[in-house]
Amino acid sequence: MATEVLWWIFAVAIVGVSAGVVFSRSVIHSAIFLILSMVGVGAMYLLLMVEFLAIVQLLIYGGAVTVLILLALMLTRMGAGGAAQKVDGPQMPFALLAGGGILAILVGVAVSTSWPGDVDDQPTGISIELISEKLFQDFGAPFVIASALLLVALVGAIILARQEDAD
Amino acid sequence: MVPLENYLVLSAILFSLGVYGVLARRNAVLVLMSVELMLNAVSMNFIAFSAYLDPSRITGVIFAVFIITVAAAEVGLALAIVIRLFRNRATVNVDEAAILKW
Repeated sequence: MATEVLWWIFAVAIVGVSAGVVFSRSVIHSAIFLILSMVGVGAMYLLLMVEFLAIVQLLIYGGAVTVLILLALMLTRMGAGGAAQKVDGPQMPFALLAGGGILAILVGVAVSTSWPGDVDDQPTGISIELISEKLFQDFGAPFVIASALLLVALVGAIILARQEDAD
Repeated sequence: MVPLENYLVLSAILFSLGVYGVLARRNAVLVLMSVELMLNAVSMNFIAFSAYLDPSRITGVIFAVFIITVAAAEVGLALAIVIRLFRNRATVNVDEAAILKW
C-alpha cells in the first residue's frame, strides 16, 4: 500500500518535471528540471528494488551528466538580448504530432498486451552480487569494450573541444 | 502492488516527452537533454521488465548498465561538439547549423 502511494507520488513528479524540461522557456530551468527527473527515475529503481542501479543513476546522471550539461550551458550563453528568441522551431506542431502518436502507440501496446508470468506480484529484488556475477561472467567482453569506448570518447571530446592555437 | 503496466506507461510518457523535445526545441543542449530523457525512459523499461518477468537472468539490468555507460560517453562528446559549434558560429541553434560544413 505504501509502495503504491510512493509510486504515484514519484510518477506524477517525474512526469511534471520532465514536461518542465521540454516546455520550459529558460535552458537553466530545463537543466534543473532534468536533475529532478533523473533523481525521480532513481527513486523508481529503488521501488523496483534494484538498489545498485539507483545509486549509479544518482551518481552518474544526477551528478556527472547534469554538471556537464550545466557547464556547457554556461559556456554557450547567448547575449541577454536573446530573451525574445523563439525556443521552438517552425516544426513544433509536427513534433507534437510525433510525440503524441508515439505516446498513443506505446500506451496502447503496453495496456492491451497480456504479459506472461506473475506480473502482478511484487518485483523480486535484484542484488548487487547477481549483477556483478552476470556482468563479469556472461557479459565480460561487452564490459571491456565499454571501457574502451569510454576512453575513446574521453580523448575525442578533448580533441574536439580544445583550442587550436596555430595549425 | 504496482503492476508492470504502470511502469510501461510512465516510461512511454517520458519517451514521448523526449521525442517532442528532440524534434521541437532549437537549442542543441536542450536537444541533448531530451535525448537523455528518452534514454532514461528506455532503461526504466528494461529494468521494469527485468524485475518483473526475468529476475533470475537480469538481462534488462545489464542492458541498463550499458545504456548508462554509453549515455555518459555520448554526453561528453556531444557537449564538446556543441562548444566547438558555439566557438565557430556563435550559435547553439540546431537549425542554424544545417549545412554540414564549416
